[in-house]
Amino acid sequence: MKYSKTDYSTLSPGKKLAVKYFVVAIILFGAQLLFGAIAGAQYLHPGLFYNTLDFNVVRMVHINAMVVWMLYGFIGSVYWLIEDEAQTELVGYTLGNLAFWILTLAVTVVVAVYLLVQIGPGNQLSLWLINEGREYIEAPRWADIGIVICMLIFFYNVSATFMKGRWTGIAGVLVLDLVALAGLYLAGMFYTPNISIDQYWWWVIHLWIEATWEVLVGCIMAWALMHLLGTPRRIVQTWLYIEVALMFGPGILGLGHHYFWIGTPEYWLTIGGFFSALEPIPLVAMVVHAVYDAGKHDFKNRNHPAMAWLIAHAFGNFFGAGVWGFMHTLPQINLYTHGTQWSASHGHLAFFGAYASINIAMWYIAVQKLRGDVPFDSRLPHAWRWKWALALLNIGVLGMTLALLVSGYEQSFIERAIEGSTWAGYFKAQTAKWFVQGMWWRQFFGYATIAGYLLLVWDLATIGKTVSQPASGADKLPAHQPAVSR
Amino acid sequence: MTEPVFAAHIMLATLSGAMIILFGAFYAFFFAWSRLKNSASHALLAYASYAVFAVFTLVLARALHLSGHWHILIGLILLGYWLAPYGVWRLCVSTHAHEKTQATTRTRQTRNYKFH
Amino acid sequence: MNKSPWWASESFWRKTAVWVTAGMLVVLIFLTFDTVKKITAGSQRVPPYSVINKRIYYRLNPKRGFMEPIIGDDAPLFGTRLDEVEAEKLVSSGKMTIQAKNCMNCHTLLGNGAYYAPDLTKAWLDQGWGSELVREQMMVRFLMDPKTNGRGYGTMRRMPNLNITEKEARGIVAFLKWMASIDTNGFPHNFKTIPQEGDQ
Ligand code: HEM
Ligand SMILES: [Fe+2]
Repeated sequence: MKYSKTDYSTLSPGKKLAVKYFVVAIILFGAQLLFGAIAGAQYLHPGLFYNTLDFNVVRMVHINAMVVWMLYGFIGSVYWLIEDEAQTELVGYTLGNLAFWILTLAVTVVVAVYLLVQIGPGNQLSLWLINEGREYIEAPRWADIGIVICMLIFFYNVSATFMKGRWTGIAGVLVLDLVALAGLYLAGMFYTPNISIDQYWWWVIHLWIEATWEVLVGCIMAWALMHLLGTPRRIVQTWLYIEVALMFGPGILGLGHHYFWIGTPEYWLTIGGFFSALEPIPLVAMVVHAVYDAGKHDFKNRNHPAMAWLIAHAFGNFFGAGVWGFMHTLPQINLYTHGTQWSASHGHLAFFGAYASINIAMWYIAVQKLRGDVPFDSRLPHAWRWKWALALLNIGVLGMTLALLVSGYEQSFIERAIEGSTWAGYFKAQTAKWFVQGMWWRQFFGYATIAGYLLLVWDLATIGKTVSQPASGADKLPAHQPAVSR
Repeated sequence: MTEPVFAAHIMLATLSGAMIILFGAFYAFFFAWSRLKNSASHALLAYASYAVFAVFTLVLARALHLSGHWHILIGLILLGYWLAPYGVWRLCVSTHAHEKTQATTRTRQTRNYKFH
Repeated sequence: MNKSPWWASESFWRKTAVWVTAGMLVVLIFLTFDTVKKITAGSQRVPPYSVINKRIYYRLNPKRGFMEPIIGDDAPLFGTRLDEVEAEKLVSSGKMTIQAKNCMNCHTLLGNGAYYAPDLTKAWLDQGWGSELVREQMMVRFLMDPKTNGRGYGTMRRMPNLNITEKEARGIVAFLKWMASIDTNGFPHNFKTIPQEGDQ
């Protein structure tokens, strides 16, 4: 039986843009892993690239590549779903395409400058042209402005498309969320000699990852559930609102867990402790919803890899943000874990579990369309590839997380609790047996993660290519039924 | 405010922190399962999970030397995790109400079935 | 078709989501104004930049139950008294250098940053500098040439050469001294300081 594969040129404008963003996201994901591996290796072999490509440069590329690829993934995901959701074609393809190329060019230049120029003299010019030297928002000021312009174009495209087509609940949440996302980024752009004020605003990052990103993911998830499982819109949207209320209720003031030790008043100990200790409640409560749904639906779907990654997302979010977040969030314990490998342990699992996984799910949804909507189910040949990619990536990150936890425990115990955080105490912890062991295991699992990534890329490039089946229709599963409002 | 923890308690405190969330989730899981299947044995597991959860919450409070207004937080945690699954379950049933009529009958059954 | 009760309806939760978010944001904005006032340089918790003219201690306050910075008598940095404007300029040049050299992607400041190198929150008071007499000079020399003057305490980890000029190094030292005077609610806990003149 012959059918025509959907190729790139026949995609709708929004989906075309989405694929571009996805491709760059996948490349930057690879860069993140590569530089992560180098940074990890430098812990074990401090002479590696000493004074040519030092740890600070490597680590900066590692974390920036992550933030940027996830943003690319989110932008791509929104472009992917917006036409289904608004039931109209994207309004500004040319403009969106322009923004994509500007952004991608800017990212390339920024990374090149990071690697080749690295640092500058201590003046404003360095912060404008080379790097700003503030964790996660290192991008030099000129790039900040470029990023905001591209975000504004994206924002225009999204809201104008919804306006022209159909304004849904998901659209409302999404648009407001994008305003907050850009606004927070803008708020981070300033220089002050006062490190306390600097760090107060630096944690706008918290409101990104624990609020706006969670909600963005909520929107994507809502659409994915309608798309993959055919859950009715009314239900999905009600739950999106419930989620926003439950997330933002404790999440906004949960920000206080970053204000314990930066010079801010003592009341933050109480505010941060109380609200962030309640932050996992919605995550736990969602277990109830998951069980309910599992009992009512059979989760039949035509895209097993995407579904598997959505489930990985649910677990990853629960463990990374919920369990690992709560472990060190009370000030009484954070006094010891603050600024140690604990944070790294939590950061790895939370970012991967909550955000990498859902992006990967979207890639599988997109790639299915590109392969002509063939079913990605038990009949799929070479299914071992996506299964092993899933396993290796998740085991790799979980292994790194546990290894870093061991090191973090050792560090907080020796450096913070016993030695009183002196320089000598720091190095005493760094040379402690279990700390070093943890670093070796981290490296090992890092390589497992990279293996999983390579397999993932291979799988995405080939999955479903050899399948020739009629496009949907034969199997009457709710796969890609248009999300109709009821 | 925060009386520093004894060094030796770092492990205990973080471990119980992890167990709180884990068993909070087990409780939620078995709670939902018992309602879904109307099963008493799962309700028992839910109770047991909550008991473990509560014990670890108290262990955490001890390990961290929580005092004064921090006791309120322990109360909130004990209460919040206890009640949240009830709330979410009721929301599930009501929001999915029109999806299948079964769902509503099932609530009525579960209402009669005493969970408290 | 059964209608869901009001507390399970879409519109109820839409309103709730909006009100919860708005309410929490208002509280956060209010707290932000209060906090920024309390951490502006020259406040009780965050001393003025001219604090670099003074001696800084880090001592246990039994009432609060943790250590806090105490500002002592005169001890001008590099032997020169600076007025508030000059002091801010010097500290700011240090902060700018710390950003331009990307220190935070190895070190932590106030516990935030990367974990490849020691925390700098109280670096000014660290025992590693030996004694107060040589501290300032040692710090400047170390920053300008960490390859030669660094000590990895038994690890092979060394700070790279970051082309820091003497002027920049002095700014960094000023910044570190000023940062050590910030009240950080007892972080880092139980810090063991350099023997300080005038300490019991
Ligand atoms: C998906 C959601 C989350 C992500 C992606 C995430 C990620 C991160 C990252 C990367 C850091 C390290 C920052 C650094 O020092 O470089 C961090 C710090 C922290 N996170 Fe999260 N987090 C999430 C949710 C949570 C939740 C729900 C909690 C609390 C229950 C939490 C508690 C903390 C605390 C207390 C710190 C500060 C660690 C310290 O510096 O002492 N996080 N988070
Ligand atoms: Fe946070």
